[in-house]
Amino acid sequence: MDTESTAVAQSGDGTQPDSETTAAVTAATKNPGDVVIETRNLSKIYKDFWGRKKVHALKSLDIEVRKGEIFGLLGPNGSGKSTTIKLVLGLLFPTSGRVLVFDKDASETKKNEHIGYLPEESYLYQFLNAEETLDFYGRLFDMSGEQRKKRIEELLQLVGLQGARHRQLREYSKGMRRRVGLAQALINDPDLILLDEPTTGLDPIGIREMKDLILALRDQGKTILLCSHQLGDVQDVCDRVAILHQGELKELGRVTDLLKVQDVTEVHASGLSEDAKREIAEVIQRHGGDLKSIDNPTTTMEDLFLNIVRESEARPGARRVSASPESAPTDEGSDTESASS
Amino acid sequence: MTLQPDDFWSFYEWLLRPGAFLESALLQGIVLIILAIVLGLIVAYVISAARYGPGEGFYAVARAIRDFFVSDLPGTSPGRIYALARLAFKEAIRRKVLFVIGLFVVILLLAGWYLNPESDDPARLYISFVLTATNYLILALALFISAFSLPQDIESRTIYTIVTKPVRATEIVLGRMLGFIGVGTVMLVPMGLASYIFVKRGLDHTHQEVVEAEEDNGRIIGETDFVRRHSHQFTIEPGETQGLTDFVRGHRHVVTRVDDATFTVGPPTGHLRARIPSYGSIQFYDRSGEKEDAGIDVGAERLAGGYSNLGISRLIGVARETRKMEHGYVEGGTLGAAEFTFDDVTEARYPNGIPVDMSIRAYRSYKGDIETGIRGSLTMRNPDTKAESNPIAFIVDEYQVDERTLPLEIGGTDANGETRTLQVFDDLVTEDGRLQIVLRCLDRSQYLGVTKSGIYLRPAESSFEWNLTKAYLSIWLQMTMVIAFGVMFSTFLSGPVAMVATAVCVLLGFSAESIYDTRHYIDSNVSRGGGPIESLVRLVKQDAMTTELDVEGVANTLIKSADAIIVYTMDAVATALPNLPKMVRTAEYAASGFDIFNAILGRHAVATLGYCLLAFLISYFFLKSREIAA
Repeated sequence: MDTESTAVAQSGDGTQPDSETTAAVTAATKNPGDVVIETRNLSKIYKDFWGRKKVHALKSLDIEVRKGEIFGLLGPNGSGKSTTIKLVLGLLFPTSGRVLVFDKDASETKKNEHIGYLPEESYLYQFLNAEETLDFYGRLFDMSGEQRKKRIEELLQLVGLQGARHRQLREYSKGMRRRVGLAQALINDPDLILLDEPTTGLDPIGIREMKDLILALRDQGKTILLCSHQLGDVQDVCDRVAILHQGELKELGRVTDLLKVQDVTEVHASGLSEDAKREIAEVIQRHGGDLKSIDNPTTTMEDLFLNIVRESEARPGARRVSASPESAPTDEGSDTESASS
Repeated sequence: MTLQPDDFWSFYEWLLRPGAFLESALLQGIVLIILAIVLGLIVAYVISAARYGPGEGFYAVARAIRDFFVSDLPGTSPGRIYALARLAFKEAIRRKVLFVIGLFVVILLLAGWYLNPESDDPARLYISFVLTATNYLILALALFISAFSLPQDIESRTIYTIVTKPVRATEIVLGRMLGFIGVGTVMLVPMGLASYIFVKRGLDHTHQEVVEAEEDNGRIIGETDFVRRHSHQFTIEPGETQGLTDFVRGHRHVVTRVDDATFTVGPPTGHLRARIPSYGSIQFYDRSGEKEDAGIDVGAERLAGGYSNLGISRLIGVARETRKMEHGYVEGGTLGAAEFTFDDVTEARYPNGIPVDMSIRAYRSYKGDIETGIRGSLTMRNPDTKAESNPIAFIVDEYQVDERTLPLEIGGTDANGETRTLQVFDDLVTEDGRLQIVLRCLDRSQYLGVTKSGIYLRPAESSFEWNLTKAYLSIWLQMTMVIAFGVMFSTFLSGPVAMVATAVCVLLGFSAESIYDTRHYIDSNVSRGGGPIESLVRLVKQDAMTTELDVEGVANTLIKSADAIIVYTMDAVATALPNLPKMVRTAEYAASGFDIFNAILGRHAVATLGYCLLAFLISYFFLKSREIAA
């Protein structure tokens, strides 16, 4: 258990998700009833009008999204991310396999009562203003007038559109539409939130706010499934990611684990003399320098992603998933393996 | 206005057709729904078998049906329907469909230049114009708003944010339909008001002065001036200051005497009517006084009669004989007569004489006296005792409703053959309120033609405003039907295709009766142009449509068989579609000054509801089985 010991040795102000949230996730994964989304051997083939196969968009996908985590679907364009989300929502029907959401089939309407969905682009009615839009979606949940009013105030506040509430959406900038889109996704205070490319169209500040909001929602105990090709977003907010390429699952695991380079040790040191620096490999202990950290260096999401895509293109077919879904939390691998399989 | 046999049916008769269930609307509706279900199941199974394989496909269909009854129908929430309907309504309004009202007003303004208030029957002209204009404008509008909305939502993917909420397919379909019906209603109301004002103002005129007036023992008889190509005669009784003019072009005025030499003429009255007729049964007698099934056929009457809409019985070929009303003629100067028997003739209904209206055709077998019309007579008769009044002679006024009042006291022959003054309600009406009126033609070898609707009693009048409202209700029902069809097609077709499909349904519905007629001519082997292919051949060869088809041998057989198949198929399709011309024809009632029968409006309402239900079911299953994001 090399990784575990290094994690402990790591200094407290690391950039990775802190140990508190890690603990929350690992605790959640213990209970199999906490699986929010489960896909079983999920495949989708797009056919043309005559039933001829056009694209094999998704091939035998098996993933589980657990309560309280932020799960990222990552992949280049056309890799099957959006298809997966649409299958989860019941907007598409699987060619084979199943999707269970809250233990119900994805085709059931009732599951939508606890779901919030932010589509790829904000597909909203341009002729409504922000308040009317939210009021309309609130009505679709059979919310009472008072509830709606209260919730609309909260949400407009949250996404910062109080000033533009009476303007028609057609006059909105892309970022503002995105915010209304997010507000409508949250109107029913959902337990599961699906975000399709949540940061596209936002300015850097908007992106930061969106990320903070996603983390805040997770901290409220909500489950979030997002898909993105903005690697930065995924690296910053996701607890676990699945990397898809050409409809196949290429990688699945905790972000912290995936980004660790196992066979390299990184040493940070200071206060060493010039002599010591020259012979640092052997003498670091002997000289008694102040050891800042010894760790596996992390790669960036970008490197990981590009590696997988290159490898996949060189050798098509299902890649051996290095970290299987069961072994996601490193310290309790065996525990969850038995629980969730 | 000539009515067809089915126009006389009461609502109950229409629904059940006692004695001829094959003609009933209920059977037609049931067959249509069963057919839709069976076809729906087959199509659904074929599609899902192709999608999931034969075994799994069966379960998929079963699941869809279970879902409908178990979760979707009971789970349908009025709140969500309202939200979706409101959205559809707002969408249409923000797309500025209300401009159509402006367009309608412009049409009315332009029409003001072209509709001639000096025509013979200006009320009919004005009323039928506004109703027809509204009808087609509203139907076109319904077609556009209903067919494009849902496909556009799917295209722009706004539907994603709807179907990912707990919204059921039932709610989406109902919400759309109701929203668009709301839009149509909001448009119809101002259009109706504008029409009413237009008709009222367009027909308004007054006569400025009295041209000539003579006093005769205190009674003043005069004539108004010539305005809009007519003038009126009027009479003011001794001691009165007001009198009425005679009816010219469907209206009359009140004339008030101001002093010896000045009169004022009021606005026109009586031109906007809603007569409530009470029809009787008709029996013809031939020249020797024998009973006949039909009157004399003076020419093209028979050929004009095709099938009317007799539901399933026509479709399966059981209704062989022509079922349209034809004029039957009575020969003048003989014992030939047309005898109308009216029920429910009571003193309470007709306290001041019996108003009887006649629309009679005349047929001259020789020129005769062309200065005056053909003369006829009406005789009241007791159907049991055969007591008979003296004939009341009149001169036939063709092409308009001739209104008369039969006196309650009239000379005649009583039951014992004695000649004395008869009291109508005592001597001529039976205990159970039956009265016969016999129409004869007085000019030898000239003929008078009537149908069942040719002579009727008029116990009451309804208000024109209410009648116009009923005509608008009928337009509203048609609009509802078109919206339902438009939404239905838009659940599985793209916008333009859905619109064309709806338009085809509307057009087929409109030509339903021509299709029935064509089938009637093919069935009865009458040369009237034939089916589409034969018509085309005739067009190219420039043959008249009443001649035999001039094609020899096999080609002839081929053309006729192909035509028969096409016409029979079209007949089946048209039978399945709403009979729109019947609904449009309510405008004819209003224009002719007849109260639109409540039975007819009720029939249209029930038929509309039935078709909406059908469209709703079809829409639901198509939307439910559709991959929204595909």
